[in-house]
Amino acid sequence: MPPVLQTSALKIGYKNGSRTPKIIADSLDLELRVGELVCLIGPNGVGKSTLLRTVTGLQPKLGGEILLSGKSLEAYAPRDLASQVSVVLTSPISVGAMRVDELTAMGRFPFTGLFDRMSAHDWDVVRQTLEVVGVDKLQHRYVHTLSDGERQKVMIARALAQEPRLMVLDEPTAYLDLPGRVVVMNLLHDLACGHEKAVLTSTHDLDLALRHADRIWLMDEAGQILQGAPEDLVLNGSFAQIFNRAGVHFDPHSGTFDTQSSGINPIFLEGQGLALIWTRKALHRAGYKVEEAWTPGCKRVRVEDQGGAYLWHAEQDGQSETFPNIHALLQRLSA
Amino acid sequence: MTNSLKSKKGIKSNRLWLFGLFLFAVLLLFLLNIMLGSVRIPFKEVWGVLMAREGVRESWEYIVRNSRLPRVLTAALAGIALSASGLQMQTMFRNPLADPFILGINSGASLGVALTILGTGFVGGLFLPAANSGGEFTLALAASAGAGAVLALILLVGRWVKNPTTLLILGLMFGHATSAIVSILIYFSAPERIHAYSIWSFGSYSGVNWTQLKVMAIVILAGLALLLLLPKGLNALLLGEDYARTMGLNVGLLRFVILLSASVLSGAVTAFCGPIGFIGVAVPHLARNIFKTSNHKILIPAIVVIGAAVSMAASLIAQLPGSQLMLPINVVTSLFGAPFVVWVLLKRKRGAASFNV
Repeated sequence: MPPVLQTSALKIGYKNGSRTPKIIADSLDLELRVGELVCLIGPNGVGKSTLLRTVTGLQPKLGGEILLSGKSLEAYAPRDLASQVSVVLTSPISVGAMRVDELTAMGRFPFTGLFDRMSAHDWDVVRQTLEVVGVDKLQHRYVHTLSDGERQKVMIARALAQEPRLMVLDEPTAYLDLPGRVVVMNLLHDLACGHEKAVLTSTHDLDLALRHADRIWLMDEAGQILQGAPEDLVLNGSFAQIFNRAGVHFDPHSGTFDTQSSGINPIFLEGQGLALIWTRKALHRAGYKVEEAWTPGCKRVRVEDQGGAYLWHAEQDGQSETFPNIHALLQRLSA
Repeated sequence: MTNSLKSKKGIKSNRLWLFGLFLFAVLLLFLLNIMLGSVRIPFKEVWGVLMAREGVRESWEYIVRNSRLPRVLTAALAGIALSASGLQMQTMFRNPLADPFILGINSGASLGVALTILGTGFVGGLFLPAANSGGEFTLALAASAGAGAVLALILLVGRWVKNPTTLLILGLMFGHATSAIVSILIYFSAPERIHAYSIWSFGSYSGVNWTQLKVMAIVILAGLALLLLLPKGLNALLLGEDYARTMGLNVGLLRFVILLSASVLSGAVTAFCGPIGFIGVAVPHLARNIFKTSNHKILIPAIVVIGAAVSMAASLIAQLPGSQLMLPINVVTSLFGAPFVVWVLLKRKRGAASFNV
């Protein structure tokens, strides 16, 4: 079976009237198969949206080839293309009085005639889609009364009702709170591996992408795309290379970004468990360099676990004090 | 499941009810428009004329046949056409304050009429005999020519200007330019000609005779026939052109048909009745609010009944029943329309999303 999406020597960018076109990326060789969730990641402005718009046919390519299920993108009639690819775009829609089921039913447009008469099968698809996405309870609500997270799920339901082989989403988690983001990424992963779709989504949520994506396309400012399993990209240093900028540091241990610790004042920290971890983070933030061993003259903090409650003992300049929380500790240390 | 089905049925029967209500209002307003005016004609006699019975007083028969019947039909058709045109413009531009004239159709018509009435002084009486003898039909022709020219321009520009907002601003700029030319014409014209021009610009349903009404009806029905092909496309455009494209619609063709239908509808009204404001902005909002939907499959029939009712009500008020006076139609629509638009704006500020297009 050919891959759902395959590009060879793809050149993307903008045609700029009669002037020379602005080329964003050159010679992209990408491949996407059914069952895969691929996250497109990269700093702002590298051209993620341009790539997504180009492979969905919203924007003409500047060169190379895009194959959808083995057939050239340009060879598809609009309707046939719509039953291959569906999208969820970044900008939130602003429709007035429209119900969730009506909006989802729009996903059947490629299959209905000029007068949009929905068959029983079409309604079945809509109903199943609403259930799969988990918004069947909202089906009679008006879209504008939903929360951002609920609305994004409905937009995914609409895209799914098109019964595409490939779903392309442009930053679907952009306006959502953390639980909302996790829910959406879980859903996308589920659609890819449980419902025979290929899913391509751009996102800025690196940690979520690392956890959910089967593969990551990492786009840099030169328009190059590094591909691989998320773990491979961490191990070979690709993340660090693309995202490391002044003051921001990719920590390959946690898979997160840290503000680079510029601690100079040495401090010795002892204790154990959760409280130790968070105390260390707090001291980092306060500008301390946490030492593993005590040297004479160095400040010293000990975390004491009293079975669920904690006490912090600080020793400096020969005096010892005890604090009930980290805030008080930090205030005293900086005084 | 049963619960959700019930609520769906509830919405449907509710809507049928509303349609019935507005149809009744349309019939009632139709009769009132024929019965009331400077002279009051009893219902029985009106019925006699409509059924072509013998023995109706001759003067009443004349009034009903040649004045009130064409006027009320014009009012109904114009109301429907303006509302339909406004609905399409609001959806296409996704702008709640768009109206049928946003692309300058009425500016074109105004320019045509202004050139005919006011410009005759400059072009050495080229139009003068026609303007004096042919009367209203000349103005209709001039307005049609002006509206048609703008229509052609819009369709042409719409081929290569892909961004709707750019198209919108081009329309506005074109409107300003034509108004400036009209102002120049007014500035150099004799007072009686200026008066004749302003009478036209006030709008009127009374100047349309049976021949003109036939032409107008055919053009408007053609525009409405195009609109009947569009509910799916208009619904898709509610999500924006990109979504419409990815749902398999030919957005270029869709836009062409919308522009054609909307311009033909508003052009026909302006040609025969003058530039009539507010109906085209207000009725689509009323329809969305009353029927609580943005779905064009429901909105299109809704604006037909509401548009006809609102326009006929305006026509009735403009007659000032019982008096010999008559108000220009634009005065009536604006007096009611302006507060309405203000209300829309204030309501939007309070965050009522139902006033989104």
